[in-house]
Amino acid sequence: MTIAAQLRDVSQVFGDFTAVDGINLDIASQKLTTLLGPSGCGKTTTLRMIAGYSQPTSGSILINGKDATRLPPEKRNLGMVFQSYALFPHMSVADNVGYGLKLRKVAGPERRKRVTEALDMVGLGHLAERRPKALSGGQQQRVALARAIAIRPDILLLDEPLSNLDARLRLQMRAEIRRIQQETGLTVVLVTHDQEEALEMSDDMVLMRSGKIMQQGSPQDVFQRPANRFVAEFMGYENFFATPEHAQATVRPENLQLIGRGETLNSGAHNLPAVITQIAYRGVDVMVRATATDSTGTAVDLLASVRADSGATSRLRLEPGAEITAAIRPADLVPLAE
Amino acid sequence: MTIRTVLRLPAGQPENPKMTPPRTVQPTTGRRPVLGALAIIGYMVMIVPILFVVAAAFSGGDSLQFPPESFSLKWFAAAASYKPFMTALVSSAQLAVLATVLALIIGVPAALALQRSTFAGKGWVQGLFLSPLIVPELVVGLALYQQLIAGLGTATFTALLVGHTALLIPYAVRVTGASLALADPFVEEAARGLGARPFKVFTSVTLPLLRPGIVSAALLSFVTSFNNVPLSLLLQGRTFNTLPVSMLDYVQKSYDPMIAAMSTLILAATIVFAFIAERTVGFATIFGGINK
Repeated sequence: MTIAAQLRDVSQVFGDFTAVDGINLDIASQKLTTLLGPSGCGKTTTLRMIAGYSQPTSGSILINGKDATRLPPEKRNLGMVFQSYALFPHMSVADNVGYGLKLRKVAGPERRKRVTEALDMVGLGHLAERRPKALSGGQQQRVALARAIAIRPDILLLDEPLSNLDARLRLQMRAEIRRIQQETGLTVVLVTHDQEEALEMSDDMVLMRSGKIMQQGSPQDVFQRPANRFVAEFMGYENFFATPEHAQATVRPENLQLIGRGETLNSGAHNLPAVITQIAYRGVDVMVRATATDSTGTAVDLLASVRADSGATSRLRLEPGAEITAAIRPADLVPLAE
Repeated sequence: MTIRTVLRLPAGQPENPKMTPPRTVQPTTGRRPVLGALAIIGYMVMIVPILFVVAAAFSGGDSLQFPPESFSLKWFAAAASYKPFMTALVSSAQLAVLATVLALIIGVPAALALQRSTFAGKGWVQGLFLSPLIVPELVVGLALYQQLIAGLGTATFTALLVGHTALLIPYAVRVTGASLALADPFVEEAARGLGARPFKVFTSVTLPLLRPGIVSAALLSFVTSFNNVPLSLLLQGRTFNTLPVSMLDYVQKSYDPMIAAMSTLILAATIVFAFIAERTVGFATIFGGINK
């Protein structure tokens, strides 16, 4: 695996706030890496340090194996797409996309060719002469993408690029960014707080919290084997409890089986006696909240998502106060590190 | 503004009872009749008094009255050939242009610094640049008179230029600052990311973004200086008068339609000015900045 960028013991301290706390990170070449985490976790600060917009308080950043820690952004040849798109309002779409090429002294005909190429790639070839103001949010986003791609950057950096788009457009752009990345073989670093987006788009996911990396791995790794409770919660796990074998384990709400009190699931399953506290019908599924006692005798809150057309809904009396058993199949049980 | 200042002096204009809009011009105010009516009343209050002055300017008689006795352009001819007015007009224009240029030279970099960077005491600096808006102009004028003219023996024009520049700086800072605040703060970073050095970023991105702000700040500054009375009144000399001050002088001595004619000429010039501004920059751009 070739490494496009490397962060070594990188910290960023603002006054008495440590935004990034000694992280080590390898960004794989020609892959799409997402920096994922809640706001304030340091993901955007990390991206801005890679881009050169801010310099680490300590540590070093290598791009293509060369030290770039103190290099200003204009000398890094990275393409950045901002959350607000940051298009030049006084220039046409074509001039926006050609801006970086002009600075690189790419001659007129070649420049026009590459501008057209970049705009065609995002499907906006026909809007080249428009001003950014005359475009929709989604179109502006594409222009920003084309502008960053046109300079053939070593790494394309995307700072929450989809967060200002409506839901449908966002889905469409996820696929499109992924397609462009795969077609061009670009190295992409994408910052997002949306785990679904990260799962769908990434080759490699980096989960951050309070300036530290909590887990790095493929979407499957992170989703199926969360390293700790924070990652598990961020990936949509609920139900945290102790079993005789593990001090802490978890199961996804859709994998928590509800059966009658006294019944048992086939061998090896972990059974918790529970009492239903709340029911919420959601169409496809029914959300069942319950309280249970785990193997250490601690009371735990459980959340199960039961398919509305499954046997459990008809077989069991799903109502607050009903006594049931919450069962977890061994395959669904995810042990967590302390 | 000059026109309204002048109007306040003769208290002779009777409140016209016909000012309520006649039924026939009742406008289509859509779904907001109360707001619409208020807007119309607002415009009437602003515009109707001006119309009286304009009408009076075309009078053939010798006194300022409405309706004018007869129609004539003679007061325009009189105003245009009245030496004190024409000398003062040139003085005012010179002063306004120079003060505007100076205010922009100081105000635009200040606006840039205030908008685009953080430094210790930023709030204080901002307050300092905006303070001439709050300190009464008479106080500023008196202070400048004492220190510059009486104290240092500075020439009238220099003292006036200092005073007007100080008066205009808040406008320059505010309006250019507002135009910058409306722009996406990341465009400059984007330009750097694409390979532009800081100076190139300034010339190819920041300056073009500032242009509408600078144009509107210049227009506003020019008009403010041109119409200023309090500062000019205190700092004027025997040989140097601004137009509003000499009109004020004139109206205290004689009360004839020439003053209305002069006001009308200024009004016409202002309309041309505004028209050009609208055609080149657009009012939305100009005043969109101020409302922020």
